[in-house]
Amino acid sequence: MTRAGLAEKRDLLAAVLETLVPPSEDFPESGALALAHVLAIADASAEAGAMLTRAIEAIEAAQAGQAGPFPTLSITEREELLRRVERSSPEAFDALVRHTYDGFYSHPATITRLGLDPGPVQPRGHRIESGAPPDLGRVAARGPIFRRA
Amino acid sequence: MATDDRPDVLVIGAGASGAAVAWRLATAGIGVVCLEQGDWVDARAYPHWQADWELHRHTDWSAEPNVRRLPEDYPVNEQASVISPLMYNAVGGSTIHWSAHFPRFRPSDFRVKSLDGVADDWPIDYATLEPYFDLNDRMMGVAGITGDPAYPPKSPRQTPPIPLDTLGHTIAGGFERLHWHWWPSDSAILTRDYDGRRACVNCGPCDLGCPIGAKASTDITYWPKALAAGARLLTRARVREITLGPDGLADGAIYYDREGRECRQKARAVVLAANGIGTPRLLLNSRSPRFPDGLANRSGLVGRNLMFHPYAMARGVFERPLGGHRGPIGCSIISQEFYETDLARGFVRGYSFQVARGLSPIASANGGSVGDRVPWGRAHRRAYDARFDRTITVAVIGEDLPELHNRVELDPSLTDGNGIPSPRVSYRLSENSRRMLDHGIARAGEVLRAAGAREVASNPLLRAGGWHLMGTARMGRDRATSVVDAEGRSHDVPNLYIVDGSVMVTCAGVNPTSTIQAVALHVADGMIRRRG
Repeated sequence: MTRAGLAEKRDLLAAVLETLVPPSEDFPESGALALAHVLAIADASAEAGAMLTRAIEAIEAAQAGQAGPFPTLSITEREELLRRVERSSPEAFDALVRHTYDGFYSHPATITRLGLDPGPVQPRGHRIESGAPPDLGRVAARGPIFRRA
Repeated sequence: MATDDRPDVLVIGAGASGAAVAWRLATAGIGVVCLEQGDWVDARAYPHWQADWELHRHTDWSAEPNVRRLPEDYPVNEQASVISPLMYNAVGGSTIHWSAHFPRFRPSDFRVKSLDGVADDWPIDYATLEPYFDLNDRMMGVAGITGDPAYPPKSPRQTPPIPLDTLGHTIAGGFERLHWHWWPSDSAILTRDYDGRRACVNCGPCDLGCPIGAKASTDITYWPKALAAGARLLTRARVREITLGPDGLADGAIYYDREGRECRQKARAVVLAANGIGTPRLLLNSRSPRFPDGLANRSGLVGRNLMFHPYAMARGVFERPLGGHRGPIGCSIISQEFYETDLARGFVRGYSFQVARGLSPIASANGGSVGDRVPWGRAHRRAYDARFDRTITVAVIGEDLPELHNRVELDPSLTDGNGIPSPRVSYRLSENSRRMLDHGIARAGEVLRAAGAREVASNPLLRAGGWHLMGTARMGRDRATSVVDAEGRSHDVPNLYIVDGSVMVTCAGVNPTSTIQAVALHVADGMIRRRG
């Protein structure tokens, strides 16, 4: 399978990503949000593309013995299958998880759900209340703690 | 391509120390040309202006040259090292990427042999450098507060300290409960407008650069003033070797320009400021019949005694949000409770704690500097939510001692884009450092729990933690046991100077940039004095 072939496996890949980061009641976004990022990484880097391709190939091979294609399996079956792949192809699977997290936790919908402002951190920055100055009295009262030399 | 241009001084490297020495010399009326293999960083190019800014931390804005792989980088063979060297090749050098934590060395750091019977004393002391620390602070702009009992009295800081915010006050509470030393860090980050630069807006990822110039990087501090004083700076000029004249003195360098053309720059003196890996690499690449083992290497010590500052990391998870995404990523609190030698602890010398801000969204998932990734699958959401915005990381910065076997050599096959042999780094952690870091992890866990952490995880040694590159062309009085003298001048080639972290005899237990720059200014003043 080529990197272009990876793009042809979008449905499988989306189901895998959703299994890695499943939606929940109060956080409906899932790892499928990372799909575009994962495909872009595979396209931008031959090294990453090869690694991700290996991961998907391993998942395809593992699903051969299942009752149906990966997307049709129950969540428990999907997780069990992925854990087998994690054990058999640890490096490729590690790359898949890392790129999924990268894509998911940089997606504006996720950032918003985390309670942060999506978008660039400049020029807006963050406001920090000045608050009371730190009380350094106890520390200062110890006197010099350095050795004179 | 050769020219008749022959300035007084050729500086190689435009980072922390090269900028400082170029400015000092230029303002004294000395003609300076600097060759820098990187380029100027356009403030508009920083990832902070993009929504996906955090993705760039592990790709094109990585601090690891082997990950970043920009044309101006050179690969480093680090297979024999437990720590990966970090650096940035640009005007400003690694001050583009640093967190700007800006402590000084302490007086005892220059007298390690006399006080503790290990390593060697420096040929200079704290008092010698004190005026240069102050001068450098004014040039860089330091946020902080005087009165820290861990140091001799300092001159007023340029701006008030970085705000502690919820996270800082939380960990400060832990230090207070344990009656341990802590202090708001000296940081080369402005909290008020200063010297034509803007105050920090607390956007967070200083390690990706500072697009508004609130963080001091030498492209915006020293270089504008150096250029105004007449210094000249050539970018994308990668030096291959330093050349010698028939009199045995350095007479310039051969470099490749941005088009890959071989060029020659003559000079009456040469200053190396290419960092603790780049400088020995260049010296070892500058072989000649007079110096068959590398320029200025009659001692055999060029490249040896590499020190990194091994880092261990401890991270506490708290019940409540801490706002850790707000404010400079590496700068809030320093503790030097365990800094000076106490042999009852099982090791000699000591370490600092540096408290960093919280983890950003991606780092929270992938584990940040501790590296413990949040589990995938149905357990993911709960585990992530328990971590995000609820962590404080305490870095243990241990004093590395110089050891001959930790070294930089030339790789027999690896080269950069111009075919120049690349460095090969060999480094292993000493038993003393291991015991020191273990002690630090345990104490960091104590302070995190005292501050209210419900769980603590740690990383016993941060692999991607080679920010500080030191010791590979050490300073000393004895030419048999050092490469340069007390004023940074080569024992073997009297018009060749070194001003970067290579000259450090020992590395203390704090971030070294403030001290590296103070040494560079000290060396510059020696050059000015000798010139008359």
